[in-house]
Amino acid sequence: MLEAEGHQVERVYLPQVDHPDLLFQQMAAYRWVDLSAADRVICFRPPAHFISHPHKILWFIHHIRVFYDLWDSEYRGFPDDHTHQGMRDALVAADTVALGEAKRVFANSKVVAARLKRYNGVDSEVLYPPVFAPERFHCRQFNDEIVYVCRMEHHKRQHLLIQAMCHTKTPVRLRLSGKCGGKPYAQELRTLIKQGGLGKRVILEDRWISENEKIDRLADCLAAAYLPLDEDSYGYPSVEASHAGKPILTTTDSGGVLELVQDGINGLVVEPNPVALGAALDALYRDKAKASAMGGAARERLSALNISWSHVLQRLLA
Amino acid sequence: MKILVVNNMAPFVWGGAEELAVHLRKNLIEAGHESEILRIPFQWEPALRIPSQMMMVRAFELSNADRVIALKFPAYLIRHPHKTFWLLHQFRQAYDLHDAGQSNLPEGCEGDELRTLIRNADNESFGEAKKIFCNSAVTKARLRKYNGFDANVLLPPINDPELFPGGETGDYIFAGGRVNGMKRQHLLIEAMQYADKSVKLVIAGPPDEPADAARLVALVEKLGMDDRVQLDLCFLPRETYARYVNGAAAVAYLPFDEDSLGYVAMEAATAGKALISTTDSGGVLGLVRDNETGLVAAPEALSLAQAMTAISQNRRRATDYGAAARELWLDLGISWPATIEALLR
Repeated sequence: MLEAEGHQVERVYLPQVDHPDLLFQQMAAYRWVDLSAADRVICFRPPAHFISHPHKILWFIHHIRVFYDLWDSEYRGFPDDHTHQGMRDALVAADTVALGEAKRVFANSKVVAARLKRYNGVDSEVLYPPVFAPERFHCRQFNDEIVYVCRMEHHKRQHLLIQAMCHTKTPVRLRLSGKCGGKPYAQELRTLIKQGGLGKRVILEDRWISENEKIDRLADCLAAAYLPLDEDSYGYPSVEASHAGKPILTTTDSGGVLELVQDGINGLVVEPNPVALGAALDALYRDKAKASAMGGAARERLSALNISWSHVLQRLLA
Repeated sequence: MKILVVNNMAPFVWGGAEELAVHLRKNLIEAGHESEILRIPFQWEPALRIPSQMMMVRAFELSNADRVIALKFPAYLIRHPHKTFWLLHQFRQAYDLHDAGQSNLPEGCEGDELRTLIRNADNESFGEAKKIFCNSAVTKARLRKYNGFDANVLLPPINDPELFPGGETGDYIFAGGRVNGMKRQHLLIEAMQYADKSVKLVIAGPPDEPADAARLVALVEKLGMDDRVQLDLCFLPRETYARYVNGAAAVAYLPFDEDSLGYVAMEAATAGKALISTTDSGGVLGLVRDNETGLVAAPEALSLAQAMTAISQNRRRATDYGAAARELWLDLGISWPATIEALLR
């Protein structure tokens, strides 16, 4: 996109391994990267923000979260002791300095912007990442199928939707499309489908889904589901569905997705349990006119939030 | 296997090493492996920032790669338990270019310390290697001389041999490739004034600097050679370049002391073309054998003129040299599949 605007662009893609004991050594490595040949640098994932450059722009997509918001969670993976507390304090201090060096700080969501404010005292502008070539997505019809096109992972909660299908009273169908992250979860999903006797109404496509397949699924479906557990950003699946003019089904605890989806306007936001989700699936099936209206509103919502490449370029190069 | 090709990156610069890395990756994938290129930024000016960039490379952590194939300094300093070198060149300013008085490193003790630092880091890194290959005998000799490490020569194959099937022995001598003072295309133009009137010359390729092109244009004009010398001084599509090679009577390539055989000579030999070079062209003479695969002249206009005339006036001879050049090239057995096999053996 930057090239289309007439700029010369190089992508610098450097290695990084997640391990607390290797953290500071790798931060130093990034600090020593010399990109003085470039007029501007735009940094995304940590520790890229440690790169030193006179015109550094950060489009911050997350902290090293185990030292921030995930400290008090099962994901931390190391003890809450003096050593690691010291690491955390040093990391926060270094992050704050690196953030302060930037000409501009953008965040990819309100959630991340709030964390930057809370932990580092840094103000940032929310700049929502658009999807690649959004004009590829389109709407062909509203069939009887709710699609969930996404990697299958436990925290994406495909299982909740299968359980919800047991509570539906209409012939609504469900299609789960995406490569499964691990064998046990794939097995769990298959077992749930079998136990629920849902073999005819739930399609499980556990494989890599091509872009064209994804476009077709979204063009034909009734609605798209996206219900990750407390995600930072709105997630590409929900934006792709919006470009296809389809309503989005999500849950009250899905985090950043709620920045995009407004209940009853461009989708449905329900409690994260099978009964509530089942009722929502039925509601979409029963009132296709409403589903279609919400799909139209989903497209409009993208413009309202300025989710477009032209806006991104204008802000990044401002 | 998962194989990471590790190369330097000079932001916004793309050259032969970058092309080599791309084709190495492509051929690794064709051989059934997974492969990615890791390009590590390196800025050699100011020289005093070289040490921190060496530390940078050393401090990076790699995961998820079974093997590393490293090409250039300082990217090859990267730590990995199974690292193979395919050394294109070391940081020559710290070695032979320093000896030749062409180094960007500071004079005196600061520069001495920098060179010691680079040599020590290189030695440590070469010591970690599973295997060291060099892209030419010259690189190998330097490594032996300055660092005391042995290596095997693994010449880079040409990337698109299918473009060079050869063709009719034409009526012009072709000089292709980058245009600059070191490649001495000007000597060929100067030779034209002593060559037989039947000799035609085509020079085509991208000039390094606009001045390199201007110099040749001015020379042709001064000698009044525009009816016998054709200049096509720009970046050529590969197909255009290949058409010039395939239709030539002979290919002239006379760089000063080149490290390797040179793509220009390798492509000409693939196309079965007679070669013209000079006694001081270094590695190129590995393919150009006098009166066998072509003619080796002294690096001066008169001697070159004799060679150009001899080849232009006797097409049979040109065709025979060309066939011998192709045979010699094929005997060297330099192909991507063989190269990949050697690198992974």
